[in-house]
Amino acid sequence: MAVAIETARPHVESSSAPAALRLQGLCKVVKTGFWARRVEILRGVDLTVADGDVFGLLGPNGAGKTTTLKVVLGLMRATAGTVELTVPREQIGYLPENPYFYDYLTGEEFLRFSGRLFELPSQVRESRVRGLLGEVGLEEAAGVHLRKYSKGMLQRIGIAQALVNDPSLVLLDEPMTGLDPIGRVEVKSIIEGLRRRGRTVLFNSHILSDVAELCTRIAIMKAGVVVWEGSVESALAESGDLERFFVRQVNG
Amino acid sequence: MSRVLTIALNTFKETIRDRILGVIVLFALAMIVGSVWLGAISLGQAGRMMQDFGLVAVTLFGLVVAVFVGASLVRKEIDKRTVFVLFSKPLGRSEFIVGKFLGLCATLFVVTMGMGVFLFVAVWYVAKSPQPDLLLACLLIYVQLVVVVAVTVLFSTVTSPTLASVLGVCVFIAGQLSSNVLSLTRLGHSPFVKAASWVVFVVVPNLSAVDIKAAVVGEQVSRPATLGLWVGYLAAYCVVVLLLASFVFRRKEF
Repeated sequence: MAVAIETARPHVESSSAPAALRLQGLCKVVKTGFWARRVEILRGVDLTVADGDVFGLLGPNGAGKTTTLKVVLGLMRATAGTVELTVPREQIGYLPENPYFYDYLTGEEFLRFSGRLFELPSQVRESRVRGLLGEVGLEEAAGVHLRKYSKGMLQRIGIAQALVNDPSLVLLDEPMTGLDPIGRVEVKSIIEGLRRRGRTVLFNSHILSDVAELCTRIAIMKAGVVVWEGSVESALAESGDLERFFVRQVNG
Repeated sequence: MSRVLTIALNTFKETIRDRILGVIVLFALAMIVGSVWLGAISLGQAGRMMQDFGLVAVTLFGLVVAVFVGASLVRKEIDKRTVFVLFSKPLGRSEFIVGKFLGLCATLFVVTMGMGVFLFVAVWYVAKSPQPDLLLACLLIYVQLVVVVAVTVLFSTVTSPTLASVLGVCVFIAGQLSSNVLSLTRLGHSPFVKAASWVVFVVVPNLSAVDIKAAVVGEQVSRPATLGLWVGYLAAYCVVVLLLASFVFRRKEF
């Protein structure tokens, strides 16, 4: 049986820039358990990520953030609603939450493998692999098998594989999870670099200080719907502090 | 096509670098070497005993690789969530299935033909004369195992690895008996039995058609002309099974 939750009309401040990604009325219902109980994970998600935005998708656990990304990527099919992507599939990069990669490959082999899936010419592939290993600080561990990588190193190689096609839209699911302060600084500088190069970034995170620092716009999800969407400045102007603002939106 | 080859190459690396594969191959080689002892107590039939025993070892250990590795190939990618990374890239579901299949087929080729060459050399040493038919027999065992891989991959897209392995073994055994089922269609008068036998014969791959183990040890005469046709039939069978597996896998959500 589906659980019905009443939600107020969300606050939405639209952006003037053209959209890189637009979700309209996105719903996802899954059937679980022996009796195929219907569970609504997404209940009409409306979201617009403008070209060049660094967009933070926030929400408590179970709000539907990861499912939203999976539907965008086609890993799951939407029950209803539409996903409009203005960039081709070849121009999307994705880092899943708590990523696991082939541990029998070395970091370098794994990046080459990722590049081959995009059918990058070998010269381009090799230069990207070299460049990205440097960018995520794994040059010295390039020849080490991934089974010997720490969680932080896996996260960094995960970001590198998400960027191997030089994407114009980057989707990152909890990119700061499991990173030590130095790792977090490195990942933040990678996201900063993407913003400077005009790339669109959509990421989920629970670390609100990072969101405040990096994002131009945010959306807050609760129980499968977006309850607030707007600029970080507006959120800060309303509450002075993103954490307080987030709690008020989720509990309010 | 290059994405299919990328997945195939990665699967080949994955399976070849798996320590379990090494253990299986060592067991098989030990069994072939052990058959020298059987030859010693078989009164002048040492070469034949070794061929017989060796071909069974190649089949059995090849089957273990085909079924157990084949059953976990797709499941492992889902359980370890590497599919998220794969399918966020422009990789089609059918490209993935075909790539996985080809990768394991490459590993299986190295394993069965490696064991086959070892057996060929061992028999040559014991019987003092080369037996080239042994290599052909191993190649045809490989063809049978390729069909088992395709069927196991199909099962693994709809069920657990354990059940997929069991079903893979069942198909292999049923495939050895498939031609017996066909003979049922010529016996009796019940149209129902005849129809049911035809259905079973069409659904279950006729693996025994390319089994030349008996011919190699001189118990039967081989028919090389029809072998090519049966290999073609099994290749077509694999294509149909992989199309089915791709269809099922395309509907999966992660």
